Amino acid sequence: MVFRWRWVWLAPSTLFLAVMAGTAIGETAIPLETILKVLANRLWGAEHAVDRIDAGIIWNYRLSRAILAACCGAGLALSGVVLQALLRNPLADPFLMGISAGASTGAVAVTIAGLGAGVVTLSLGAFAGAGLAFSLVVLLARAAGSGTGGGRSAQAAGAIILAGIAGSQLFNALTAFIIAKSANAEQARGIMFWLMGNLSGVRWDDVTLGLPAALGGLLVCLWYRRALDAFTFGADSAASMGIAVRRVRAILIAVMALVTATMVSMVGAIGFVGLVIPHAMRFLVGNRHTRLIPASALAGAVFLIGADIISRVIVPGQVLPIGVVTALVGAPAFAVILIRGTRRR
Amino acid sequence: MASDTEYPLTLTNCGTEISFSSAPEGVVTVGQSATEILYSLGLSDRVLGTSVWFNPVLPEFSEVNAGIERLADNDPSFEAVVNRRPQLVAAQYEWHVGPTGSVASREQFHELGIATYVMPADCDTKDNSTGGDGTRTAAFSPTHVYKGITELAAIFDVQEAGKALVTDLEAREADAIAKAESLELPPDLSAVFWFSSPDSSVDPYVAGRLGSPGYMMEKLGIQNVIQSDEEWPIVGWEAIARSDPDLIVIARMDRRRFPADDIEEKLNFLHSDPVTREMTAVKNGNIIEMDAHAMSATMRTIFGLEMLADSLTTLSFER
Repeated sequence: MVFRWRWVWLAPSTLFLAVMAGTAIGETAIPLETILKVLANRLWGAEHAVDRIDAGIIWNYRLSRAILAACCGAGLALSGVVLQALLRNPLADPFLMGISAGASTGAVAVTIAGLGAGVVTLSLGAFAGAGLAFSLVVLLARAAGSGTGGGRSAQAAGAIILAGIAGSQLFNALTAFIIAKSANAEQARGIMFWLMGNLSGVRWDDVTLGLPAALGGLLVCLWYRRALDAFTFGADSAASMGIAVRRVRAILIAVMALVTATMVSMVGAIGFVGLVIPHAMRFLVGNRHTRLIPASALAGAVFLIGADIISRVIVPGQVLPIGVVTALVGAPAFAVILIRGTRRR
Repeated sequence: MASDTEYPLTLTNCGTEISFSSAPEGVVTVGQSATEILYSLGLSDRVLGTSVWFNPVLPEFSEVNAGIERLADNDPSFEAVVNRRPQLVAAQYEWHVGPTGSVASREQFHELGIATYVMPADCDTKDNSTGGDGTRTAAFSPTHVYKGITELAAIFDVQEAGKALVTDLEAREADAIAKAESLELPPDLSAVFWFSSPDSSVDPYVAGRLGSPGYMMEKLGIQNVIQSDEEWPIVGWEAIARSDPDLIVIARMDRRRFPADDIEEKLNFLHSDPVTREMTAVKNGNIIEMDAHAMSATMRTIFGLEMLADSLTTLSFER
């Protein structure tokens, strides 16, 4: 009980501090005093005199970006938790379902092949691609006799992972085809940047989409936390505990696909978070989803805000794709948790 | 008087030795710069096909250009170029025809007996092996464009026309610089050149300090707020807005691959984004539209310089 109470206090304050750090640290140095004045003006209607450009950067660029980074980190981590539990595969992550590959294809189809004739934006193209790829993967898995349905549990989980791999390969090939066919250096660089993730274009509009998606994902996961516990022992065990395996699995996979596609369409394909954060949190808080779900959401949020800060300041005058940072910083951090966690056992 | 060309003519072009036994009968251009230079030299009857267009052709050549096949708006395929049976391929960028050229490497053309010429402005002071749009190793100067004009004129044995074109461009350059000097502009006048962006509000491609926009700014006494040596670095709006330039020059182009290729989209962003709309240049209406092609290291750089100098006479820079 002691642990639980401490944790409850820790979560919002950690998240708050991370968002504040994301707002305070950026490409250009803005004094802390200015930052506090801007926040006071906006949040409590204070009337401090501040430079309008500084005020805009802090409120419209950095704060919105930090909040969306948190939403994306949480959403991707939750998707990882759910898929790893449902598919009983430690390598399952949201991008395994073809979502990232499909989003990439959609994005290059719009920006490079010119699909949509300038009406369809890159984000919309990415979202459509993600949805299409995910639907194909699910159809393929279903045709193979399982899909999101019941079936023999191990076989079902295996089929959807194989379908995901096949779908990803197909869409990766389409992406490569479009890039090879028509991209010049400028476009290849633009799309590369996007494929590795990029939060520079984030504004409040995106937050109004990302926040409900992340919170919705979190609530759905929490609602089904006991079912997820049961799935950890396999679909057959879950069925024997009275869980509507077919329905619950379909709902959870669909919701997580939607959350991931929404995030990917806004900030690009940021790998690593969905795969590794759930594992790291399992080492820290255990396998029970009552703890694992909020812990993963929090860790994903804080991790992505941190990665975004690093991506902005690590090379002066240049912004690195956030996917590079998540992997370069995240992999060693994960290694430490992995080794320490194993030793503790 | 410029002399006639003596063949065989051998020259070193972007690190490759090329040789001509006579003036090429047919040429395919990969890049608008090479195309317009050949038209300006009166060689349009030798052009078998064109490709890679950012802007409409110069108005004086619209009729001539209409009669010449456009192989592709962007990168043509190797076979499309070869099929025109040219004796020369003249390219604007090494990324199209170069060591890792998207159309082909120079060797691939040479193996078929087709000579290649890459505009020196893209390689003389530029390292294209760094990826992206390359990195300038020294500041661009129109002398590299003039060198390209002079060499193409020599290859085609029209040296007189080459000399006349260079003399004209040099005079226009000097006039533009003199005009800006007469304006007595503020000594710390600053600007940013925005080419495009991969998506509507993400970090844009802006001109580094050593490319052709850097040259324009330097000649007219304007400071570039971007310090990068890269040709078109990606710089965050946060950094651009905070540097608050007096002048924003935005590229106008026909290409529509990124939303921000559209100049209306650029203007809309500048006026509606909560941060950029607070910038001095936006508030004072100091936004200048310039053809994208003038922002590349081409003959049109001089026209861009002229246009910029003319615009400066109409703007006020009160802060």
